Amino acid sequence: MKRLKPWLLPTGLYLLCLFLSGATSPPVSPKVHTVEISRMQFNPQVLVVSMGDTIEFVNKDMVTHDVTESSGKSWKSPALASGAKWRLVARKTADYYCSYHPVMKGKIEVK
Amino acid sequence: MKIRKSISASAIGLLFGSFMLLSPAVAQDNPTLSDAEVAHTAVTANQIDIDYAKIAQERSKDAEVLKFAETMASDHKAVIDQAVALVTKLGVTPEVNAVSKQLLSDAEKTKEMLRTKTGAAFNKAYIDNEVAYHKAVIAAVEGLLIPESENAELKSLLESIVPALQAHLEHAQMVQKDLNGK
Repeated sequence: MKRLKPWLLPTGLYLLCLFLSGATSPPVSPKVHTVEISRMQFNPQVLVVSMGDTIEFVNKDMVTHDVTESSGKSWKSPALASGAKWRLVARKTADYYCSYHPVMKGKIEVK
Repeated sequence: MKIRKSISASAIGLLFGSFMLLSPAVAQDNPTLSDAEVAHTAVTANQIDIDYAKIAQERSKDAEVLKFAETMASDHKAVIDQAVALVTKLGVTPEVNAVSKQLLSDAEKTKEMLRTKTGAAFNKAYIDNEVAYHKAVIAAVEGLLIPESENAELKSLLESIVPALQAHLEHAQMVQKDLNGK
């Protein structure tokens, strides 16, 4: 009878663990959410997402907007002309506004 | 498309508020607005605010006032572009009318007043006028131009600009509050 190679046992156990963990909690792939900018509002105004999800902002107004993190230090989109889109990967909860129209405000909540 | 409706002078006076106490010609002739006249009035009202913004860009050094003026120039140009595209598509030529003439006449006086001011006095005069102007234009669009529009696309365009006018008004009031605190 052939002897088992010594590296086979740990490798087999490792593969078994990988299989079992995959079977019990399948990997969650990041989602893409849409925030529509229309009638001078971010819709939805508050968006709850998971860490790593992507948020796509779509400007459906006739005027230019942007999406600026409230502290002004974290992130800011370029100017979004009518019809333009911009994507952001959610890393942490943030309030944001449109720097052209500061009365327009929104929030991303990372759960 | 050209449909004419009578609107009472008192109603117009109410809609246009204090900045546009209509001239005797407008008030007494029982004015009417066709779609071509509504289009001309809408474009005129937007162009006037672009002109105010240009004066602000020439005379103000306040970052908040300049940012506001830049937004006014850009947004009102976008509205004019949409209106021009629509009337071109509809084959309508905007027509000068008593209301748009009165708007222009009042705007000339306001521009003259703004050009006499500098520094903080200019910033205050410009922003105070922006607050009053946007209140009056919102009232005029909602109470006069939308009801007077016969064409559904023209009516829809006018309805779609009200939220922008409202955001401009709130923005102007925000700047006004900041200036008063300085």
